[in-house]
Amino acid sequence: MDAQVRSVLRRVIQRIPNKNIENLLKKWNCLSADQLCALDYTRPKWMIVEQVTSFCEENRLNLKHITNLEMIYHIENPDKGVWHACQLTEAQDDAVGVDLTQFKEQFKAHLHGVVRHISIKIKKHEDEAIWIRIAWGDNFSKPNHLKPTYVVHHLHTSYVFISNLMAKHKIFLCQALVIATKHGSIKDGHLSTRSLTAMRELLLRRYQQVTYPAMFTVTKHLFAGLFTDPCIGKEHSEHEEMRYQMSCEAFGHGPTPKLETAVYRLETRYRGNGNHTLSDREEFFRGVVRFSSSSLLDSLRHCVASGMAEGPVTPLLSAITQRGRNYFVITDKGPGVSSQASAQRA
Amino acid sequence: MGKRDVQIIFLLYFFLLGVFLIIMERRGSAVNTPASRPVTRRSKSYGRSCVEAPSYFWQTPGHLAVLKIPNSRGTAKSQTITNKVDPEHIALLVKNEWKLSYITPLHHFRHTRLKSYSKHLSAFIVAEKQQGVAVEVGLEAGFKVTFSAVLGLAENDEDAETVFIQIQSKPVFAAVADAPKVVWRGWLTCVNGDLEYLRSLPPDFVSLPLFCTSGPESLTTLVKSWFERAFDCNFGCLALNSTTLNWLTALWTGCHPTCNIRHLKLAWSLPTQPPLDVSYTVNPQDAWELWNSIHPEESTDDRIDIQEVQSFINGLEAHFFRHFKIFLSAGTLVKVSTALGSAHVDGKIKIGNSDYITTLLTLLTECALLKMPA
Repeated sequence: MDAQVRSVLRRVIQRIPNKNIENLLKKWNCLSADQLCALDYTRPKWMIVEQVTSFCEENRLNLKHITNLEMIYHIENPDKGVWHACQLTEAQDDAVGVDLTQFKEQFKAHLHGVVRHISIKIKKHEDEAIWIRIAWGDNFSKPNHLKPTYVVHHLHTSYVFISNLMAKHKIFLCQALVIATKHGSIKDGHLSTRSLTAMRELLLRRYQQVTYPAMFTVTKHLFAGLFTDPCIGKEHSEHEEMRYQMSCEAFGHGPTPKLETAVYRLETRYRGNGNHTLSDREEFFRGVVRFSSSSLLDSLRHCVASGMAEGPVTPLLSAITQRGRNYFVITDKGPGVSSQASAQRA
Repeated sequence: MGKRDVQIIFLLYFFLLGVFLIIMERRGSAVNTPASRPVTRRSKSYGRSCVEAPSYFWQTPGHLAVLKIPNSRGTAKSQTITNKVDPEHIALLVKNEWKLSYITPLHHFRHTRLKSYSKHLSAFIVAEKQQGVAVEVGLEAGFKVTFSAVLGLAENDEDAETVFIQIQSKPVFAAVADAPKVVWRGWLTCVNGDLEYLRSLPPDFVSLPLFCTSGPESLTTLVKSWFERAFDCNFGCLALNSTTLNWLTALWTGCHPTCNIRHLKLAWSLPTQPPLDVSYTVNPQDAWELWNSIHPEESTDDRIDIQEVQSFINGLEAHFFRHFKIFLSAGTLVKVSTALGSAHVDGKIKIGNSDYITTLLTLLTECALLKMPA
């Protein structure tokens, strides 16, 4: 095993907490049962790394095996790093007929054709997701296995999720995806988050949208405890119900995908209160608003349900779930329109 | 010896006892004349020296002067502070993020004794750090404390000069030629303090109400306890309330024509579950135009009113509301930042530009004086 292979192996093992290493190595299935038993997971990390490295050398494992281990680690822990979403558009007629073998062939063929040194690994996971690991090189240097790009795609959907892609490689990857999936073009999805799970849930609609009556009875009990006087509670219950309904329509009920941020670039005319000189201005009142939270959609839903936000929920916020994006540029529709602002693609 | 002799002896004895008791009582009844009581300085024989003052003052002196919360204040004035203050000192102030506290007036603090304060404080820190350690395994061999006066920051006649404290330490295993590293910095200041209040203080007291620190909390605590013992003062955390942050927003935005503020960034925290942070970064030119429409630049009145400040913040919140329908007033304004500096509600500030340092320090001195227990 050469130095690069050893450093890839070391990096993978060092990232995992000791208690999870055993499962990963079992799944990998490259070490014998005796070797697995010999490993002591209570030892310090550097000792475990040394032991695993020596076992790999014994078994004469090579780069392929180690990159396989890295892929398994990423598939098991998809919520590391920053993921960006892209959307495929202009599907051709035979796009639905593309199967896994075709996709793999076309994808690899294209990339091998345009980049001289490149290492591509494609794996299909149980949940129908295709995972692709790409280590990029160029005309003069070998592929860099320490900074691989990961791509995840569900066949026959129009979304692709990408992590750790450098700007100079973007064009190659986009071309390859477009060709392999038989689409016309690919564009930026304006959604980025640390959690791939959240991204998939949001875009592939895997989380529950509303059927609010069943959930409301549960939450009613949450609010009921706040008011000691039953008359006050009764007065408020109608408003609460309405607010809760609105919040669920916009953000769903039950657990929401764990997004962390949403960014809005505002380029609209000033709409403050009663300030005439400024409201008549033609120029925009520029600014950038950034919402952040450990679980953004939960916070926004609570905001609406508790009255901190006025209902009905503005389309700017509900666009996060409806359109599946978290970066927006908001402009006025045109000169002379006084009250509506619309979300437009950047 | 006859009976009479014994009586005389007894009388003499009681007389002497009486005199003795009166003398003792006179010593103890100095509570009513605080200012005249001398401070006794004792040096303990095992090398630990500190100034010990008997403490009579359970009330901050000067409490009779009432401090009013101002409704208006002057606009931010730019001045090339490096004309008045040593540029090296200014560079130190501009570099770090400072944590704020207030201090009650210091008893018998003398700007002329800074060298001896340096020695006492470093001995105190070394002694405190060695307490409870059986074998000398401390990583830091010695602490060197430097007190220096930063002349020129004081604005009015009653302001005391700023005092800057720096603590350096050298790790035990460092080479002899290695320069000691600065591990802690702090400064006490008073800029444009309330004249009535400062004049009402008894003559032995010096007021430097604003204390800014940067460095490990353990050293800050040690410095504070030394000050408390040496000068009979009290410290307290100076949190900045939203009114102060609003003032800073308006003052800094008003500086945009003379000094590009680069951006006006406001951060709110809303009490949702989980908490939601909203940060609104406004283009500086647009922010300034909004401020100018409320408080025109050409107006001859050099003062800003609190209502104008409130109007400005309301305008920004209203523009936000029109888009997102979220009431920012349901949360708290947590941080304001521009190129001129930043201020956090927990009492942390950063000075970005030395030209406007006087305005910022005036505001903070006022906050410190208001926050002190009366």
